[in-house]
Amino acid sequence: MIVGCALGGGFAGLGFAGYPAVRPEITAAPERLIEEPLFSLPVIGDFYLVNTLPTLALTIILLGLLSFFANRSLTRSLKSDLVPRGIGNVLESVLEMIYNITEGSAGRKWARTVFMWFATIMIYVLFANLLKLLPGFESIGVLHEAHGEGHAVEALGGPWFRLLPATTEEHGYILAPFLRGISVDLNFTVALALIAVVAVQAIGFRALGSGYLTKFFNFGNVFKVPFFGVIDMFMGILELVSEFSKILSFAFRLFGNMFAGIVLVAVVSSLLGMISIVPAMIFMFELFVGVIQAFVFGILTMVFMVMATSGHGHEDHEPEAVEEAHLI
Amino acid sequence: MEGSIMEAGRYIGAGLAMLGAAGAGVGVGLSALGALGGMARNPDTYGNLLTSMILGIAFSEAIAIYCLVISFLMLFKVV
Repeated sequence: MIVGCALGGGFAGLGFAGYPAVRPEITAAPERLIEEPLFSLPVIGDFYLVNTLPTLALTIILLGLLSFFANRSLTRSLKSDLVPRGIGNVLESVLEMIYNITEGSAGRKWARTVFMWFATIMIYVLFANLLKLLPGFESIGVLHEAHGEGHAVEALGGPWFRLLPATTEEHGYILAPFLRGISVDLNFTVALALIAVVAVQAIGFRALGSGYLTKFFNFGNVFKVPFFGVIDMFMGILELVSEFSKILSFAFRLFGNMFAGIVLVAVVSSLLGMISIVPAMIFMFELFVGVIQAFVFGILTMVFMVMATSGHGHEDHEPEAVEEAHLI
Repeated sequence: MEGSIMEAGRYIGAGLAMLGAAGAGVGVGLSALGALGGMARNPDTYGNLLTSMILGIAFSEAIAIYCLVISFLMLFKVV
């Protein structure tokens, strides 16, 4: 194993003279920083130190710091003159916007519960998507000896090496970057999708009790009105399948967008590396896509939760809402 | 010889996979059409329509992104 580090300018859009951009190794799975497994469990298999793990720690630390400072700022303003300032003010306005969207479609009764999931998922995915645009991601890392096609390296002094754009068949090296965006790892997106879908089911059971199951197993009408009863049964099976396809679509939507993003940046920088403005434009597009995907992930969770809380077919909450409106 | 046939197949496959982007293009156009029509009739709904339109565009665009991922996987021999 080579312990050196490498400056590959490709991903950071650093294609100026003397440091031509390098097309890095494109892999769908996160790269291993250390070839040997960290530890292994009997049934599950080996665990490796992959390069999304440091990024995950970084994201969690950043989110923790953000919430700590926002909390401190809000507590301070609560004690003095009730005027939020600084970071607390920014976060409050963002959360208020999210809360208003949630209340608009979930109603007042479920708004608080659904809002927590919506805001948590959205802010987490937003940080995950935007962190990978920082310089240093995907460009500085450990050099591994390539088994197939690899790059030639040039010594920069000390343990530092620089990848050269040319690829060679033998004695080449590939770069496993220290940091790789966590949303470019299918493990992260599948985990988040599972959490979201399980939470949707839990909220459905909380709202409707065991009646939530009749959404999937609807045998009530089979003997009363045979034709429509069978149709209801079939619709229940479709609902059941769609719950599982939600996991897939959640996971692959986020992963696909982010993976296409890093590949697009890599390919465009290696093609037009000398003209740095073009990769910079792609980075701006990535910023847009990252924000949109975070919003889509959050809002879809919210919409599915609202659909789970409202019953199947009949609307029994309507009269209450009308009464409330009269009282106001 | 066999290697170059594989190479040609990879490039052709990547190109064919991107055919799916046509459908996504139609989808994006339709959502923009609907939103713009709504905005022209009732300019007050601009904010609401913009949010829903961007959501709808993100959904149709995801289809094109799937195609892009498939063609990238073929091009760069990832799988």
